Amino acid sequence: MSAVSTEPAVDPQAERKWRRGGLLALAILLPLTLAETSYDSVREWLHGEDLIARDVEFGQSVPFGGSGWKLADLRGGKAGRLPDHAFAVIATFTVTIGDPDLRKQWLGCKLMLTDAAGRRWLPDFISGVSLPEGAMNCAQAIFSGARKGDVITVGDTFIVPEDAVKTIRPAVGLGSERPWYLRFQRPPK
Amino acid sequence: MRIRVLGNLAVLCATVALSYGMQVTKPHYADLTAPIPIDGAMNDTVRARSFAVRLDKVIFARQLKASQFGQEKLLTTSGLWVVATTSLTATGASTAVADGTWQGPTGLRYHQTERLGYRQDMPPHGVDPGLDKRGLFVFEVPSDQIRGARLLIAARQFGPLDAQARISLDALPTGADGQPSDILPEFDLDAAPGQTSQGQTPQGKT
Repeated sequence: MSAVSTEPAVDPQAERKWRRGGLLALAILLPLTLAETSYDSVREWLHGEDLIARDVEFGQSVPFGGSGWKLADLRGGKAGRLPDHAFAVIATFTVTIGDPDLRKQWLGCKLMLTDAAGRRWLPDFISGVSLPEGAMNCAQAIFSGARKGDVITVGDTFIVPEDAVKTIRPAVGLGSERPWYLRFQRPPK
Repeated sequence: MRIRVLGNLAVLCATVALSYGMQVTKPHYADLTAPIPIDGAMNDTVRARSFAVRLDKVIFARQLKASQFGQEKLLTTSGLWVVATTSLTATGASTAVADGTWQGPTGLRYHQTERLGYRQDMPPHGVDPGLDKRGLFVFEVPSDQIRGARLLIAARQFGPLDAQARISLDALPTGADGQPSDILPEFDLDAAPGQTSQGQTPQGKT
């Protein structure tokens, strides 16, 4: 008795073609899968970091987060109870409200100081140093009920080391604009 | 034919053995994403990713005195209180250093105490670039966990793949029984920095 094969004969050429096609598909699909799975994380990271600076001349008002931002003043000095070689700095901005939904547009609002070396300082509470009359910090501004067309003063206090004072520049980051942030030129002396 | 079957069996056994070996030696996910330690010694500045830390002084005490909301509290322990004084600074941007762990010689880990509640000189320590800040980390540890211990400082308690300063405490003088040479009966956290009660000298930097 002889066995009879019922399987169709395999064409070696066609098999090789399929194998090559499979490898090629893998080379395309793997990077695509990687991109798809990491897309959300990358997007979230980009929207949470102040990465790309938009430089703004002193005296210029630029639209950012639905409002117009202009550096009003930058002043520093020895004040309050500070560590040695540290200076208190107050940065204030004049903001013309455009989109009054500040809770959405200004979410994650961050006022910063940056220096020539790329270091960044966030606001600090300094005993004995307060903002000028009428000025408020970011969180206060968000809940201030400011309406379209209102002009408000937003600012904060910072502690910076002596070696950074000469090159510091104020900067603003908003959740709705990240990864872009505004970096202002210092006022002329 | 027989050789081929034997060969296939050998390959199968090797695959099973290799798979089993990989399975039993596979690190836990928490170990794979654990903080990356950066080693240093007492009085050295250890540079982590977002902050730098220098361990200046370590004080051991049987009791800890602290005032909270206007009331004085005296905290006792069956072990020892360890008060580690550090100097902290941020490297690139203002940040917070929130996590301190005492790692004993056998690998046992003691997280910073929560019995003191909120205090300004306790974690989280807000730090800025270029500005040194004094920060305390307080631990409650058994007395046999001192010799060969290490202090672990990190920005956050769960910081996957973030840097962690690991400071060796070999410089601490200990007796033959492994206990610190100087143990204060009581330490007042509200005493001015540099001052210790009972007029004893703290260990470390003088």
